[in-house]
Parts: sequence; structure tokens; C-alpha cells
Amino acid sequence: MMKVQVGKIGILDMLRFKNLPLRREKVIRNAPAAEISAHFKINDNAAALHPDFQEMVISDIIDHEGAGAKSYILSRKDGQNAAWFRAGQYLSVSMQFGDSRITRPYSISCSPLWTKDGKYAITIRKNPNGFAADKALHSWKVGTTLKVSDPQGSFYYDKFRDAPHVIALAGGSGITPFLSMAYAIRDGLEDFDLTILFGSRDEDSILFKKELDDIAAVCPKVKVVHVLSEQKKKGYENGFITAKLIQKYAPENEPYSVFLCGPEAMYRFAAKEIDTLGLERKYVRRELLGVTKQVWEQPGYPAECKGQTFRLTVRQADRETVCDASADEPILVAIERAGIAAPSRCRSGECGWCRSKLISGSAFTPEETDGRRFADKEHGYLHPCAAFPTSDIVLEVPGSYME
Amino acid sequence: MPKYDVVVVGSGCAGLAASLECALAGKKVLLIEQHNIPGGCATSFRRGRFEFEPSLHEMCGVGTPENPGSVRRQMERYGVKIDWCPVEDCFRIISKFSDGSPMDVTMPAGVDNFINKMEEYVPGSRPSVTELFELLDEVDKGINYAGKDPNGADVKVLIQNYPNLLRVGIYNCKAVFDAMHIPQKAQDILYTYWSYLGVDMEKLSFVHYCCMVNNYIRLGAAIPTHTSHEISVAMVERLRELGGDAWFNCRAKRFLFRGNRCCGVETTMGTVEAELVFANINPDIIYGKMMPSDRIPLREKKLSAARNRQFGARMFTAYFGLNKTAEELGIHDYSIFLSGTCDSVKEYKSMERVDTNEFSIFLCYNIANPQASPEGTSMVSFTTMFHTTEDWDDLPMEQYVALKEKMTDKFLDTLKEKAGIDIRPYIEEVSIASPWTFARYLGVPEGSVYGYLTQDWDDIISRSMMIDKDYAVPGLYPIGTSGIRGDGYSSAYQCGSLIAETALQRLAGGNA
Repeated sequence: MMKVQVGKIGILDMLRFKNLPLRREKVIRNAPAAEISAHFKINDNAAALHPDFQEMVISDIIDHEGAGAKSYILSRKDGQNAAWFRAGQYLSVSMQFGDSRITRPYSISCSPLWTKDGKYAITIRKNPNGFAADKALHSWKVGTTLKVSDPQGSFYYDKFRDAPHVIALAGGSGITPFLSMAYAIRDGLEDFDLTILFGSRDEDSILFKKELDDIAAVCPKVKVVHVLSEQKKKGYENGFITAKLIQKYAPENEPYSVFLCGPEAMYRFAAKEIDTLGLERKYVRRELLGVTKQVWEQPGYPAECKGQTFRLTVRQADRETVCDASADEPILVAIERAGIAAPSRCRSGECGWCRSKLISGSAFTPEETDGRRFADKEHGYLHPCAAFPTSDIVLEVPGSYME
Repeated sequence: MPKYDVVVVGSGCAGLAASLECALAGKKVLLIEQHNIPGGCATSFRRGRFEFEPSLHEMCGVGTPENPGSVRRQMERYGVKIDWCPVEDCFRIISKFSDGSPMDVTMPAGVDNFINKMEEYVPGSRPSVTELFELLDEVDKGINYAGKDPNGADVKVLIQNYPNLLRVGIYNCKAVFDAMHIPQKAQDILYTYWSYLGVDMEKLSFVHYCCMVNNYIRLGAAIPTHTSHEISVAMVERLRELGGDAWFNCRAKRFLFRGNRCCGVETTMGTVEAELVFANINPDIIYGKMMPSDRIPLREKKLSAARNRQFGARMFTAYFGLNKTAEELGIHDYSIFLSGTCDSVKEYKSMERVDTNEFSIFLCYNIANPQASPEGTSMVSFTTMFHTTEDWDDLPMEQYVALKEKMTDKFLDTLKEKAGIDIRPYIEEVSIASPWTFARYLGVPEGSVYGYLTQDWDDIISRSMMIDKDYAVPGLYPIGTSGIRGDGYSSAYQCGSLIAETALQRLAGGNA
């Protein structure tokens, strides 16, 4: 074996090497036997930004009568600051109706500065198919306690990604994230030009009209264009939000981003219009799509499953629950009906918070809401909020911190 | 109450390794993880059409099927299949030599290639650098020999087979490089890897450097085709195959004791009993809030005080999904180290604040892995570290995003200025992780993923020689980067495996 000549380092070093443990032990022995603290400021900040959940009390309710919606002012029960958010983010709100334990994502509709007073605002609109919305609108009163998640989602302005001018397409209660962005611009928390094309039925049903007008009056970076589908009136655009309309308000000869938030029908319509604009993919962003309706119309769906009911076995830690699962609804809905507290946030297949292991059976995930990681697909994981049962299923679900 | 032979708290790399080690030994294992995905650092996240690798730059110790390294062997032994992509070059570094002259060098993998290239850049370096590689190999082998038997190595064998390990064992890198008369410019280039270990070359133990660099350069590094999440999820599935259970979104609240012995864990999903408990958690967190103070041995309290909350790198990473290919953007290197100076002491000092930090590692995953992102796109990241918490401790919430953006602006400007690569117009997806983010996801103190500084009295060689003293709470074994092997994926896998073996041996001997 060759002998490396390490210059001055010599045979005495062997002894020192052998004595390394003694040297270390001496340092340890000479240290004080202090109590150990597990507190670190950085970790405390992280926890304040992302608590497991926040217990909130409804402290005020604002009725937007013409628009068929209500805003709920939520205040932290413990008097602490509410977790900070980026304008455009949502809260996952946990609710119990009868035996069902469900969550719904609601965009925050206030300025992020409200968190310093321990507050958020969320807005819920009447919706003919909205099980949760209707229940909430009827049962939530001042004083009702709610558990909400930390602020979630990546539907916010990012200066590295988005163009300096954003054209926001809003329909109905889809205005809420943009209202929050407008407040954030007004309050100096965000810096970009925001032109909101806001589709409403008629003048009387415009949600947050006064709030939007007030911001636009003091903040030149925010512009609001109302687009009325069922009324022609001076000072308003008429019809639907089309590519032509977007071009009318978009800056000329410079890039702009299009942000999209509204009901599914508006998504589908607007998506086609946006396609004709030839924008780079990075300049088009949409808020969560929500649960796929009529899954049987999705490409690749095994048609024979439609309308069937399957047996769902849910394992959570050392517990097991068996229930029915309709082929026409996401697996998450069956889990919630069974009263199991399972995690969920976006309910659109994207965030992966409900990620669960399929132990046996099969399920269908529509391509457009398949937000799974590559290896998860390979190893039989699914996102129950976006997966529909196509056989009897055994599913292992994670715990929920909302308890 | 559910009963298991072994409960592993935390599914970071060490936790996964310990779980599989115990399951293969026939134990009934429960793995609990506070998140809904396994892996700790070894994970992934999705934005739009991209799936991002959050932390792995290059896995050392993979090697080839013909010439496997420790990680490949370990995964094979576990029965875990991973699809590896080799990383061809070691690194490119754009910086300044210590004499102030500009440095832009690209070093290939493979010892001969590396030495030849070094001779091109630094004529006359061949003899001493060749000697260095022989030394690296001997030291690395010596450490592997010593590490195989957790109860201590035979000094006679060390003297006979690995005498140089004993000779250099107590020295830092700079001392050894100087003693070997390695030309300063070659030293400057060899220093590049220091940042992966989190302490500068005057504090970094030469042995620690050997273990990593020898593996990187001799065997070449690799990355998994589908992010490190692929490794973690494959390990969890293997655990299930072996009869183990894994509970996600389940947080350990307290370790339970019967007398002085840890006998289980109270979790957010119920209480579990076990003969052995492994905690992939920093010991300060375990002792500070997860067990009664009167069950903490005096020596552990003193060890914590001696370490004095000096943690390694607090991470900061910006991830970008780009709507152009690497080729279109003029990116040809897998990793580019961008730094103000290659003097690691000065560099370390500069990494205290956002304003002074000039260091980053720029990675383009597609160079090593054509499947890293969808066709027509590419995926890149920048990573730096902070050696103090000053900027991050008392930062008001409303200034948090602006501070992250400030550091990220520096990354993008530096890349454009020094490497002539401008990615700004092509950013389709972005995510920025600060020390707060790492603290949130990993629960590690201050967002440091490197554990306690591996330096001086507490370097990895000293730790390795004291396993018998360091694991002093009966039945409870902390594992992870604060353990015997320090930071890094391969180190964490080895730590989990070694400590599990130790614990199983003690248990079999009635002394766990």
C-alpha cells in the first residue's frame, strides 16, 4: 500500500485520533446541564403563518341582498393575529351538517391587513346546486364558531411569473379573490395593474359594486369594468366576457396576464375565448376548477359504472369504516357522508392534501383535475376529492388536523 | 391500544431507512409522518404542469449497477427499485480564485477525468491531486470499515489497513491540503463542495469531506428520474409489503415512558406502544417538548448545551418551471456554483444576511434527466443558505414575501450577469422556499436541514466513535441529520440504517 506523505502530519496524530472521543467527552462534560428549549423564532413564525387550523367566530355578517350573497367576518377566537395570506388565497372551512363532516374552499375577500386584527372575510353566494353554500347561508349566525385552515393556494400575483398588468375575469362570487387583490394593491401590499372584467346579470346583482368603485376611485392601478349579461346600460359593457372585450382593455404591445375565477360554465366559455388570444400558457391562470360534474362525460370514463353504488372501506390509523360510495361523486364525498374526518382543502384534485392510498379496487381521475405526483400514480395513490370509484374500494386515508 | 415492535416517528430519509431495516429484521413496524406525504426533504411538489424536486441536488453513493455505491446497495438490500439518472459533470463554478483572478471551471466526474481537467486549469497540480484521491479513497474505506461495526472499530485493523485515516483524522481540510502542498488554485476548485456540508474549509473535518467528495467524484452522482419523492414513496410501499404500517398526517405529541424506558408514543391519532422508538427529529425538539425533563439523562442535557443551538445551513431555494428548453435558454451545465469568492471562510461569512449573500447553486434538472419536465420546458432552481437567523427571526409577516423576492432577484441577476443566462421572460411557474418554509415542512430548528454543525469536537468521526454514549435514553433513538453522519441524503440513509442496527442488537442483547 502506498503511504501518503501528509507533510507535517505525523505519527503523533494517531494518538490524537484515538483520543477524539475523550476530547469530545470533555467538551460535553464541561457544558452546563441547562433545560432544553424547543422554541425557535423561525419555527414560531412558520407556525403562525401555517397553523394546523384556526378557530374563528363569526363576528359580523353583511348581506349583499341584490347579489344573493353574504359576507362573513371571521375573528380569531384566541385573539391572536389570523395567519397572513397572499391576496387571492382561500381558506378551507370545516363544517358539520348532520352526520356529514365536510370542507369547502372559500376565497378570502378582505385585505391581508385584516389579519393583524385577527380577521378574515369570506363571501358565500346562493347556488342552486350548492349543498354547503345553502346550509351555511341558513345556519351561520353571529357567534357561530368555525374551524378554518391556514391560507391556501397559488392563485395570487407573482412578479416573477406574471405580467405587470393583469386582466382579471370574474363571474359571480368569483370576484372575491380579485377584491382582495384590489385591497392589497390599495394598501401597498401588492404592486401591479389590475383590470377586472366582472360579469354580472344586471346592475342590481353586482356583488361588491361600491367596494370596487371606492378602491378604483383612490387607486389608479385598479380598474373595474362591469359586464352585464341581461341588461344594456350606459357605462357598462353588455354581453359575455369575450376575447374581443379582453383585447379592448388589455395593454397594447406589451404582455398581460389573464386571471380567471368564476363558475364552471364561465370557465368553459372563457377558456375558449382565451384560446383565441394566442397567449403564452404562463400568462393564463385560473382559480380552482372545483369538483368535476357529470364525470361520465369525461374522456376515458368506464361508461358501465355510471349510476352504480360501490362499497367503500376507509382505513384511518387503526380504525376501519365501511360505507356506500356513488360512482357519480368523488370518493371524498362518500367519506364525508360517513362522518369520517378526512383531510381536504382545494377539492379540485390540485393540492394533494387528501392524498390517500388505494389498497384495493379501482377509481377514475379525470385528466383535467389529476394533480397527482408521478410516483403517486405509479404506486396507487389518489386524491379522493378528484377520484371517482369504479369498483368496491379499500382506501387508507391520512389523519385530519382540523379536529 | 395498538402495539408494535417498532415505531418510527418521521419518514425523512433516516426514518425510512430505519423502518425498512427493522421490518427486514422481522419486526412489526409502524411509521408515522406528520405530513400527508413521506420523505421529509426527499419529496416533491406540483405547480401547474411541473413536479418540482425540492432538495436533492445530486445523490452521492449511487454508482452504476456494475460498480454500485452505498446508496444503490442499500436500496437493493431493501428491495426498493429506483430509476436513476447519472449526473455527468461534477460542477461548474463561476467565482474568483483566492488571488482575485476570475474562475470559470467545469469539472467532470471520474477520478482520472477530474485530475486531468485539474491539470489543465492548474498546471503542476497532478502529483498532489493524484495523491489526494488516493488518500480520499483510503479514508473513505476506513470510515466505512469503522462505521460497519457500530460498537467500535479494531484499532489494529485501522493501523494496518487505513493508517492515513488515523494520521489525518483530526485535521480540517485546509490543514491537510496545505500539508499535501496542493497548489492554492487547485485547492480553490476543490473547496467547491464545502457548501454541501455547511461549514467552511477551516472548520470542516477532512474525513467528512472525504466521505462525500470521494463518492461524488469516484462513483459519480445521480438523481431519480421522478424526483426524490419516487424514492420515499417506493420505500413506504416496500415497508407495507413487509407487513409494516404507515400513518400520514399523524403527529407525535409525546414519548411515553415506563420507568426510564421509552415504551411508546402519544400521537394525534391515538397512543401506540412499542419496544423500540426511533425519532427522525432533532434532539432539542425531542427533549424540549416531547418528553418529561426528568427522563432526559444529564449527559444529553450537557450535549445539547455544548452544541448550543449551532445549526448548519438554513436553506433558501427558488424553483422555476420555464417555458423553454435548456438548449433554447443556453443552459448546458447541470449545476453551476455562483459565488463572490471561493475563499470558503469569506463566503461563509457573507451568507449571514440577504444583503451580503452572493452564493447560489443553480441547477437545471433537464441536463441530467430529460424527463424532468414536460416537452418544450425546463426546470431549474437556485439554492443558498444562511448561517445566521438575523433576517428571518423578527421579520414582519407583511415583509416576508418582499424579502424572499429580494434574494430571488439576486439569484436571477447573478445568473444573467455571470453566466449570460436570462430566464426571467420564461418563468411559467415559481415557488420560493425560505428558512420558514423548511421549518414548516420539516419541523427542523430554524429551517436548517444540516442538523448541528459538524465541526471541531462534534465532527462526524468523533460522533461515530461515541455511539455507545450518545444514545442514552433507553428505547428512544434520535436519527437524522443531527446524528452520526451529518447532513445529506446518503448520510441520512446510512444514519437510519446504522442506528437501527445498533438498537436491534441492543434489544437482542436485552440492553436497548
